[in-house]
This record gives sequence, C-alpha cells and structure tokens, in this order.
Amino acid sequence: MTVIAMPEVLIQYQAEIWQAIGETFIMVGVSILAAILIGLPVGTVLFICRRGQAFENQTVFSVVNLFVNVIRSFPFLLLVVFLIPFTRLLIGTAIGTAAATVPLSIIAIAHYSRLVEQALLDVPKGVMEAAISMGASMKEVIIKFLYVEARSGLVLGLTTSIISFISYSTIMGVVGGGGIGDFAIRYGYQQFKTDLMVYMIVIMIILVQLIQFTGTSVSRWIDKR
Amino acid sequence: MISLHNVSKSFSGVPVIQSISLSIAQGDIHGIIGASGAGKSTLLRLINLLETPDSGTVEVSGHKLTALTNKQLRQTRKSIGMIFQHFNLVANKTVYENVLVALELAKYPKGERRKRALECLRFVGLEHFQTKYPAQLSGGQKQRVAIARALANHPNVLLCDEPTSSLDPHTTAEILTVLTDINQRLGVTIVLVSHEMKVIKSICNRVTVMTEGTVHDTFSITPKGIQETESSAGHLVEQLMDDGDRDA
Repeated sequence: MTVIAMPEVLIQYQAEIWQAIGETFIMVGVSILAAILIGLPVGTVLFICRRGQAFENQTVFSVVNLFVNVIRSFPFLLLVVFLIPFTRLLIGTAIGTAAATVPLSIIAIAHYSRLVEQALLDVPKGVMEAAISMGASMKEVIIKFLYVEARSGLVLGLTTSIISFISYSTIMGVVGGGGIGDFAIRYGYQQFKTDLMVYMIVIMIILVQLIQFTGTSVSRWIDKR
Repeated sequence: MISLHNVSKSFSGVPVIQSISLSIAQGDIHGIIGASGAGKSTLLRLINLLETPDSGTVEVSGHKLTALTNKQLRQTRKSIGMIFQHFNLVANKTVYENVLVALELAKYPKGERRKRALECLRFVGLEHFQTKYPAQLSGGQKQRVAIARALANHPNVLLCDEPTSSLDPHTTAEILTVLTDINQRLGVTIVLVSHEMKVIKSICNRVTVMTEGTVHDTFSITPKGIQETESSAGHLVEQLMDDGDRDA
C-alpha cells in the first residue's frame, strides 16, 4: 500500500534518475570545492590588490582581473568545448562526469571570486586599518578581520554561485557529463516524455529552494552587524 | 618618545603634510588641533606609519619606524595603540573577542589571554558586556571597547583620531576621563587629534596647532579638567531658553 502513488514513469526510470541526481551532485560538489578552495583566494586577491587598498598591487590585480573577465566572457558552452584539450591533459579524457567537472570548476572559480570581491568591499575600511594598526600581517588581516566581517556576504555569494553551478551543470550532457538536466533533455524532451521532463524540473526547483533557504538562514544567523 | 623629522606626505600630487618636525615627550597628553583638511589626522597616522611618509623619519620609543622592515614594523605597532572616530570594531566579534584578537596578534601567552582581555574590559568598565556584540552597544561603550583593545598589549603610546567626534557631550566627558586615567595610572603617552577646542583644552598639557599641512605652533597649556556636562532634558531646555548669545 502506498500513501501517495508514485507516478509510473518515475518508477520506471528510477535507476537512471538516481544516477542523474548523483552526477549532478558530483559536478556541483566539485564546483563548490573549487569555488571555496580557489575562488575565495582569487577573489581576496582581487580585493586586496585593488587601487586604494592597503596591499595595492596594480600588476597582480590587472592579471587576475583579466583572467576572471576572460573566463566569464565565454558563452559557457563554448568554454566547455574550448577547454577540451586542457581537460584531456588533466583527467585523461574529455568525456564523462569527471571530465565535466573541469570546465565547471573553472567557471566556478571565476564566478565566485567576483562575488567574494564584492562581499569584501562591504567591509568598512576602518576595520582593516584598525587591524593594521594592531600589527596584523596581511594573512591575519584577511583571516581574522576581513573574512569574519564579510562572512554573511561570503555565504550569500556562495549560495548564488551554487545555484548558477546547477544551471551550468545542466548542459554538461554535451560532453557526456550526465546529470538531471541532461536526463530531462534526453528522456523528457528528445523522447517526448513531457511528464518526465516536468518532474525533473520540479526536482531542480526543490533543490534550488532548499539551497537558497539554507544559504539565507545561515547568513542571517552568522550576521551580528 | 615620539619624534617626527622633516616628514612630508602628499596624496596624488597634493601635499598634505609639508616637512613637519615634531617631538612629543613621554607622559604627555599631546593635542593636535586645526581646521578640517589641515592634515591633523594624516599627521597622526604617520606616527604608526598607517600612512608612509614620502620623506623624513619617524621615531617612536627609540625605534626608527621609517627604517624598519615590514615584520619589525608590525612588531613595533603592537606597542602603539590606536583608536578611531568610528571605533572600527569587528562587528561580527563579541566585545571579548574584539579585545582578544589584539592579544592573538601579539602572540600574548595563550593561558593569560583571557585574564588580560577581561582586565582591560574591567579598566574601561565593560566587564559585564563581554558576550555582547558591538551593534548592541552605545557609541561611548563602543569607544571604550576600542580603548580596551588598544590597551591590551601594554602600549606606551596611544594615538587617538577624533575619538569623541561622534559622541554626545556627556559620553565625550566619559571617554576623556578614561583617557586621562590611562595617561595617569598607566603612564601611557597620548596623542589626541580633535577639531573640538573643548576636548583639547580639557585634558591636553601640550598642543600643536596645524594649518594647511604645516605646524603653526606647538606650546604647553594647563589642562582645564573635564567638565561634567549635564545632559538631563531639563538642563537642555534651560540652555535653549537662555538669552545669552552663545553657549560656553
């Protein structure tokens, strides 16, 4: 006995759907890691090297700024294609879920670093000055002052980024990356199973809602300003 | 204690400080006053090298700051406290954490940090506010936390950049009392930048008057003492109704 009858089509494709969800989680998960591990430092460099900042460095700023802009100028589909040789060099193949994480991570770094830069710009300049006057090194200014003061903005930015990563991940079908979006297109659209496509969209909506709700709650909770 | 020698500073070609030499003796409360744009804040910020001078030398307690490496400079800054007009506390840290961070930066012995932080908060009368966040405090209380933070590492100099300029008269008196206390009980040399004549007159024993990036004059005065201002509503009405041309 089932309380709510599971639609026939979902039961029929259960295995594929779970696999697609798994692939989406891998692709988005790796993107999040790249965003935090590399995007955060890159965004921090953009901020602290900017003109008028305490650790101003025009050369470093220009180079990093250009890199981020170039990556973000690509239509994402073209970036994926353009990066195929690089992906092959890194992973050994340009096809599959693992390979798909490469272009996704690159765009993730560029995307989140801009949001990090913006979040850090919201920190009052005086806070950094106080830190420097207390003898803080650049590393200490960043970790003990900047990140602490900007933490809710950093979380909100990451939330926005994650939702974009989900969207980016939906087109990774072109390199066999799989995922929910790819499943929705192949089965729902190309095989005219419109109901299946709608169910996939519903899954995505729920996922995005959950992420946004979590992000907003966490950022509010850690904001004591 | 502090000596500046032929110090100049300009911002994008505009000279803000023009070859200033100044020395401040140990134990002084040295006021710097002048019109807006006279360069008094910049002069103060040159003392701990928050602004690097274009030329000239800065010396504080025997350390020639302008000749130090970055690392040595950071080390020396730990013995020069500084407070600001807008307090510059970390809003996402509690009162206690704000003081603690100064001790962490100075690698103060771990086991004694808590005791020292509380001691500083007690000195400014905010021991019971240690778990509050700055947003929950009044302006005067925030400035006292900033003072506790600046005192944490036993500085011998305290630089004050318009410390009372965003406070009401009553709170101003409160902060000036704390500053005098620091000077007298702890023997800390204080440099106080303010555009408020009353503030300078009440606690400074030596004053520098600045104009257009230069020192107009430096001389000794006798501090007038802090006037306990009445801030009750009744007193305010009385003052407003007063026929006198100007208030004292």
